[in-house]
Amino acid sequence: MKPHALLAVLAALLLLPAQAADMNKVLRVALNAPETGFDPAKVSDLYSSTVTENIFDPLVTYDYLARPAKLIPNTVNALPAISADGKVYTFRLKPGIHFAADPAFKGKRRELTAADYAYSIKRHLDPAIHSPWSFLVDGRFVGGNELVKAAGKGALNYDAPLEGIRVLDKYTLQLTLTETNFNFLPILAMPAFGAVAREVIEANRDNTNAHPVGTGPYLLKEWKPGSRIVLEANPGFRKLVFNATPGNDPVDKAVVQALQGKTLPQVGRIEISVIEEEQPLWLSFLNRQLDISGIPQVALQSALVIDPKNPLKVRLTDQYARQGIQLQRQLLPEITFHFFNMQDPVVGGDSKDRIALRRAIAMSFPVSEAIAGIRRGQAVPMNYIVPAGVAGHNPAFRGAPKYDPAAANALLDRFGYRIGSDGYRTRPDGKPLSIELACGTSSTDKQWNEYWQKTFDTLKIRLSFRQGKWNELSKANHQGKLQMWGMAWGADYPDGENFMQLLYGRNAGDSNAADFKNADYDRLFEASLKLPHGPARNQLYDAMNKIAVAQQPWIFGDIRMRSTLAHRHVKGLKLHPLLGTSWRYLDLQK
Amino acid sequence: MPHTSAPPPAAPHHHNSLTRIGWRRLRRDRIGFAALCIVGAYLLLALAAWSGLVASHWQDEVAHPYAPPTLFAGSAPHHLELNAADIDAADRRATSAAALDGSGATGLSADEDPLAADMAAAQQQAAQYRGAEQTRADSLPLGADQRGRDVLQKLLQGSATSLQVGIAGALLALGIGTVLGALSGYFGGLLDDLLMWGYSVFTSVPDMLLLLAFAAVSGRGIGTVVLVMAFTSWTGTFRLMRAEFIKHKGREYVRAADAIGAGHARRMFHHILPNVSHLLLVQFSMLTVALIKYEAILSFLGFGVGVTQVSWGAMLAEAPAELLQGYWWQMLAVTLCMSLLVTAFSLLSDSLRDALDPKVK
Amino acid sequence: MLAYIVRRVWQMVPTLFGVMLLLFVLFNWVGGDPSYILAGKNLSAEALAGIRQQLGLDLPLPQQFLIFVKQVLTLDFGTSWSTQQPVSALLHSRIGPSLLLTGSILLLGTVLAIGIAALVAYLHGSLTDRLVTLIATCAMSVSALVYIIAGQYWLAFKCGWFPIMGWSDSTLDNLLHYLPLPLLLGVIVGLAPDIRFYRSCFVEELGHDYVRTARAKGLSEPVIMLKHVLRNAMIPVVTSLMMSLPYLMMGAMLLETFFGIPGMGKEVVMAVERSDFPVIKAITIYIALATMLFNLLTDIVYKLIDPRVQLH
Repeated sequence: MKPHALLAVLAALLLLPAQAADMNKVLRVALNAPETGFDPAKVSDLYSSTVTENIFDPLVTYDYLARPAKLIPNTVNALPAISADGKVYTFRLKPGIHFAADPAFKGKRRELTAADYAYSIKRHLDPAIHSPWSFLVDGRFVGGNELVKAAGKGALNYDAPLEGIRVLDKYTLQLTLTETNFNFLPILAMPAFGAVAREVIEANRDNTNAHPVGTGPYLLKEWKPGSRIVLEANPGFRKLVFNATPGNDPVDKAVVQALQGKTLPQVGRIEISVIEEEQPLWLSFLNRQLDISGIPQVALQSALVIDPKNPLKVRLTDQYARQGIQLQRQLLPEITFHFFNMQDPVVGGDSKDRIALRRAIAMSFPVSEAIAGIRRGQAVPMNYIVPAGVAGHNPAFRGAPKYDPAAANALLDRFGYRIGSDGYRTRPDGKPLSIELACGTSSTDKQWNEYWQKTFDTLKIRLSFRQGKWNELSKANHQGKLQMWGMAWGADYPDGENFMQLLYGRNAGDSNAADFKNADYDRLFEASLKLPHGPARNQLYDAMNKIAVAQQPWIFGDIRMRSTLAHRHVKGLKLHPLLGTSWRYLDLQK
Repeated sequence: MPHTSAPPPAAPHHHNSLTRIGWRRLRRDRIGFAALCIVGAYLLLALAAWSGLVASHWQDEVAHPYAPPTLFAGSAPHHLELNAADIDAADRRATSAAALDGSGATGLSADEDPLAADMAAAQQQAAQYRGAEQTRADSLPLGADQRGRDVLQKLLQGSATSLQVGIAGALLALGIGTVLGALSGYFGGLLDDLLMWGYSVFTSVPDMLLLLAFAAVSGRGIGTVVLVMAFTSWTGTFRLMRAEFIKHKGREYVRAADAIGAGHARRMFHHILPNVSHLLLVQFSMLTVALIKYEAILSFLGFGVGVTQVSWGAMLAEAPAELLQGYWWQMLAVTLCMSLLVTAFSLLSDSLRDALDPKVK
Repeated sequence: MLAYIVRRVWQMVPTLFGVMLLLFVLFNWVGGDPSYILAGKNLSAEALAGIRQQLGLDLPLPQQFLIFVKQVLTLDFGTSWSTQQPVSALLHSRIGPSLLLTGSILLLGTVLAIGIAALVAYLHGSLTDRLVTLIATCAMSVSALVYIIAGQYWLAFKCGWFPIMGWSDSTLDNLLHYLPLPLLLGVIVGLAPDIRFYRSCFVEELGHDYVRTARAKGLSEPVIMLKHVLRNAMIPVVTSLMMSLPYLMMGAMLLETFFGIPGMGKEVVMAVERSDFPVIKAITIYIALATMLFNLLTDIVYKLIDPRVQLH
């Protein structure tokens, strides 16, 4: 190397922030389903978010170790000041945070400002973008509706003043909400609300999904859609040193021991493969072609020693424990349930005989047996609309009716669902009774269907399955053509409102897939929106849960326990209920 | 796509004599005859399963989940298999522990439940519906699956379904191919151009797409599987039959039929068809083999039969999950059972082709 | 010859039109509505209508078909609906792995199958012949699914002879490291039926009069086998080979899924799953074109193998 070239390199090194990431440390992980892209305002699937969360910085984020999850400042100096009426949120950005280099910046270093956040949030309102997250911001900000209306079907005017999203100075952002809401902050911690730079978006207008440029710890190095994604440490990432005091938790202690005082991120390169089949996924992990992996359903038995007294109490089998594999567990902040179409002439409606039909089906579905057989005990029955780990959960509430198919049969008898000469029940008016259940086509769907078949067989009700792709079924449901369908809802943000809104009448046909319309429920829900998380709101949530249990628009399913494995050389791992990945906190010691 | 090849062209013969000669030759061919017997045995078994004489209770949960085959009860993997009671007990403990005032779980109270009175009454009347708890076996001749169902019973029932699917699919494909091929070859001209156009379009579109598209329209189940297979497999027969009909329509015996006033339909299906039927027989047995294997792949892709039915494909689709846990018996049983039939069917096709080849004296 | 090729190419136009029509009807009827995927959790009527408008799904069907015709003429299928990546770039990255996998399976499989088939045909009627035929028959009776599942489990995982799965950017790395196991399994699945078919072609040829004439002339057996029999038997062999090529592209789908190979088969299943019509259109049109070209090539190869063949 010539002397002046060497000098240039040295100079460059001095200009850059101290980058700690070691490019030789390569983390290999897998996604279970293909991603769709990396524009935070365009993607909503879990798999794309695991990547965008590492490229873009939201205003606030979660503490890595604290449980229950705790919001902390990310690119701001402190959590925002919230006005007494719960409407005005004011954020002060940290100066000196820069975007990763990109040709759109024309060789200059581009600092992150409040205007970037204003732009990034407004993008979710833009009718031309069709953000899948627009329901989180629609009508939320003062003047937002007017601005959207002015845009019609075209692009939003980003330069027009907007009362609800104001840039007070270079580093100060003020959000003004239309309604009192003390629970808005978790929404802003979602990866969807990370900061993008307007120049980059405009320079790559046709293909923003492939050009994610943010201020986060990683940048996109390579993307083969549906097959392989490679991230590399962002050399311009701000200096972030890990500093935490561990409690008594042994995992916390191990994390602090591995990371204390180290600059983040440590891993230089992350190689993400998309592996949809369970066999290659599991065998790849065992063969050390992957560093971290979930345990596929089929391997739970061979990987875990499960205590039959308490199936959630498990340890790793000796064979894997000896290899130094680490096991971490996490109850997912999500619920699974089957809903009835409440507008359907057979299963819907609020007359007593319809409630009895729905109740009888709920009483005959063997949730516990399915958890034992399909989930291998690695799930708990769902008993409350808000799952554990989300603000507003009530662990003492039992919402699922007791499994009792005999009593369910007797209940149907009482309401005139008589058994006909062919051995199947008829409707109270004597018409034949047959129920259609929508379902997917995977092998897991088939396993569940076997339990459903059993349920309806014991009730002597004819059952047919309507198999289809997710979007076909979703469309059919939108048009009111389904009778029953199963869904899972994961927390977008850890607040009960995200779950309770699933039965809110005004969301019928949207997120309220059951088309449930109950005036009492709606009144309670609207009252709960104005309250911060606390006993007063919990009381309303209990009352709403009772309505859902009494009317039975849903059959409560289960809540899954996620088991994640990592090989011995992976250090600093702790599962987080809301952060999709821990990559920026990991270190590899080969 | 079932891989079929056209047998050598045949000279016109009277069909009865050819069939008789063929049968005599087949009787002499020991391998062919043995294969015929095996295929026959499977057909009988399938009929028995279909009519409910055997394996009608394949859905009963008669053993513990994944109970091993009796002979290998000692060496099979012994994982703990949880049951519903374990989950219930854990769940009850968790909710009671969480009740803040120590009074136990809360929930919907009787005065808040619109059905409270009926629920209480139903409890009283439930006795008539309570059945006795069944005892479950620890091992079965061929082991059990995840729900504790007998693999042997599933295998028998699955054979019936798979044979039914294979034969029905082959017949349908053969029917479409023969009728269209006959029309195309016999009449020629514009009709031929049109059908050849359809043929080339169908062969140019990848099977996988046709499959996904057909499956989406017609729902799931045996009917769909048969339709999908027929729609994607008729092209080979079409080409073969078209060529044969072109060849035969100019032959003397057809012209003689014309002279005595036989109509087109009569000439096509009464005179020509019997003379090419030996080709159809061979084509049929090859297609059946191909479709039985095709069904396995379809099931794996999620287009198989529903939960009230079982097929070899449906059983094989469970294999990857079981193999990872060390439960090998279902996969082995299906593979052996399927191989035997498919091998016998293939050998039978070979023998049929030889036996019905008019050139061999 | 040239006139013949021109005529044949001209005949492809109506076929291609038919393929487009079939595809268009099929997927407008049953393809599913992509707006429900793109809308994510936001299923409001306005959001869905907006997405449909953006994708051009609100245009009248004839107009949509005209756009399709234009896309085929320019071979520019726009961008994928689900990832918004240019379809051409997507296919470009998928075709290499597909060709490498299927090409090597075809090459190795054919060489092995012809060799073994010629050998057993030569020993026609002997014990070896019967044994090989029987083994091949048994081998082809096992589902491809079983070979793949068991092969990955035992050969890669239990024995550790191969990596479980993966694919790299370097062809050499793929050839040495990632390709061997899927190649082996692909060859095993295809070999048995090929051997049986080629053997019957060779046996058929051996029974012809010209072989007897050649023998009578005192030509040695290897010369007869290589110069006469192989040459004549090549016609059905080449046909079956050429016909299987386009199907192989799709047929390797299971191998691609289990071994993480980013090929066309996996792509098309994913596209159907996501109702990603531009990708489906592009792949189908390219495969249809390939099928038609290979048909033409087959006929030309006939002519080269056997000058007596008349081209119509």
